[in-house]
Amino acid sequence: MTRYAMVIDLNTCVGCNACMAACAMENQTPVWKNSWRTYVHDNEIGSGEEIHRRFFPRLCNHCSNPPCMSVCPTGATYQLENGIVQVDEATCMGCGACAMACPYDARYEVRYADVKQGREFFGEETFRRTRPSMDKCNFCAQRVLIGRKPACVETCVGSARQFGDLDDPHDPVARMVASGTARPLMAHLGTQPNVYYVDDLKRRG
Amino acid sequence: MDVTTGFFTQDLWTWWLAVYLYFGGLGAATLTTTFLTDMYMKPHKELVLWGAWSGIVMLSLGSSMLFIHLLDHLAVIHVLNPLVLFKQPNAWIAWGTQFIVWMMVWGFLYSLPYMLESEFFNRIPILKNILAWPLIQKIGRTCGRHCRLCGWLATINGIGTVVYTGLLLQSFPAVALWHNPGVPLLFTVSAFSTAMAFLLLVLNLAIKKRTEDRALRVFYERTDLMLIAAELVILFSFFFYLQRGSQSAAISAQLLWNDWGWLIGFIGFGLLVPFFLELKGVIKGWRSPAPIMLASILVLIGGYLLRHYFMYAGVYARPW
Repeated sequence: MTRYAMVIDLNTCVGCNACMAACAMENQTPVWKNSWRTYVHDNEIGSGEEIHRRFFPRLCNHCSNPPCMSVCPTGATYQLENGIVQVDEATCMGCGACAMACPYDARYEVRYADVKQGREFFGEETFRRTRPSMDKCNFCAQRVLIGRKPACVETCVGSARQFGDLDDPHDPVARMVASGTARPLMAHLGTQPNVYYVDDLKRRG
Repeated sequence: MDVTTGFFTQDLWTWWLAVYLYFGGLGAATLTTTFLTDMYMKPHKELVLWGAWSGIVMLSLGSSMLFIHLLDHLAVIHVLNPLVLFKQPNAWIAWGTQFIVWMMVWGFLYSLPYMLESEFFNRIPILKNILAWPLIQKIGRTCGRHCRLCGWLATINGIGTVVYTGLLLQSFPAVALWHNPGVPLLFTVSAFSTAMAFLLLVLNLAIKKRTEDRALRVFYERTDLMLIAAELVILFSFFFYLQRGSQSAAISAQLLWNDWGWLIGFIGFGLLVPFFLELKGVIKGWRSPAPIMLASILVLIGGYLLRHYFMYAGVYARPW
């Protein structure tokens, strides 16, 4: 079995936002309204002269126990055997329950107006979306299927994002997770997320 | 304090979802209460017709709020299919949709025999012709023979709808205010309280059988009084639950209990004032129905305010 996961090292993210751009192009997201499948938060932490800038990339956590999937009334949100949580835009009625259930703010609306705008923005012939839905990251499942890495991982200049298989004990991602170096967000909610973070604040002291 | 964690409310499900939850709960509880009254307390044609049709109208209004805000209106067909429950047994919207649809169907069928003999419905153009169709007459007679079955099927779906309005919010794990077993209980008690208030208004303003329905009005007043008391107890425990625990819960408590709309509007005028008005009515009685009608109106407004503030006070913790 394969269980895909991502590790994000906050020590090496430089906030270039190349991941956002690569994802937007790969997945044709409605950037014109500032909606992204992955977003890099830019925060200042500390006080006085002890301030440092922290970049925090965020995306769908592809939870093993995804609340967005259990609340979805039509079954539009579903999980592949490899753990990737996807949305079927043909079945999604866009009630927003998934967005309300998601602790990671991973969902955003794609409306009919966005589908129309998408055709103009990305090109009539290349734009793939035909219907609105509550969209989210799918770990670039279309790329993973042919052995490639997600667009955000492939483009990351600081190698802050790593993608791998948790069920392969030799995979560096699995080893970082098993050692506790990379930790999930809000694990106490029971969502069993599969995006892990290497903390930067401990190293900074 | 974790400096990297921020706390946010949401702007996706706002007042319109509160309207959906309010009319869903009120409509279903109204329909359920009138049918149970008709089956076990006092056969009451006017009450059933008022309860069934106002319930159906309220449920339609509430459901239209959700429908209007869907991104893809055509895809709603997937959730209208009853088989969706086998596919998504954990999705409360799927259950709620089925409860609402079937409650309206069984509610209509329960009221049909009364409609067929109602002067009002037989005066409405077009409708009176439809009611005269042999098929409708036959369905009406069949439903009349099996009225308990229709009534209980409507009641089961009605209670399901009422409880669902709370379970829906409870299914969102990230928000401490919503993700607890008190929410379905609070919404259920509130829905039946608003239904009692609505039916008291119907009995006092629309049906106006003052002497014949006195026992019924007293029963509804007493039940409403107990439900308001239960609601106050649940809110009291919510207050203490929210104070200690997760930071998300504590911020929700600050949002609610520092808001005049919640404190004065909902708890003050929506619960305490009607509670004392109805308490006086139960203990010593009122000479005029006006105080009870005022209490009913306040309970109805309070019922909406509860859901309105609950939607806006849900707080998410974001660890970035």
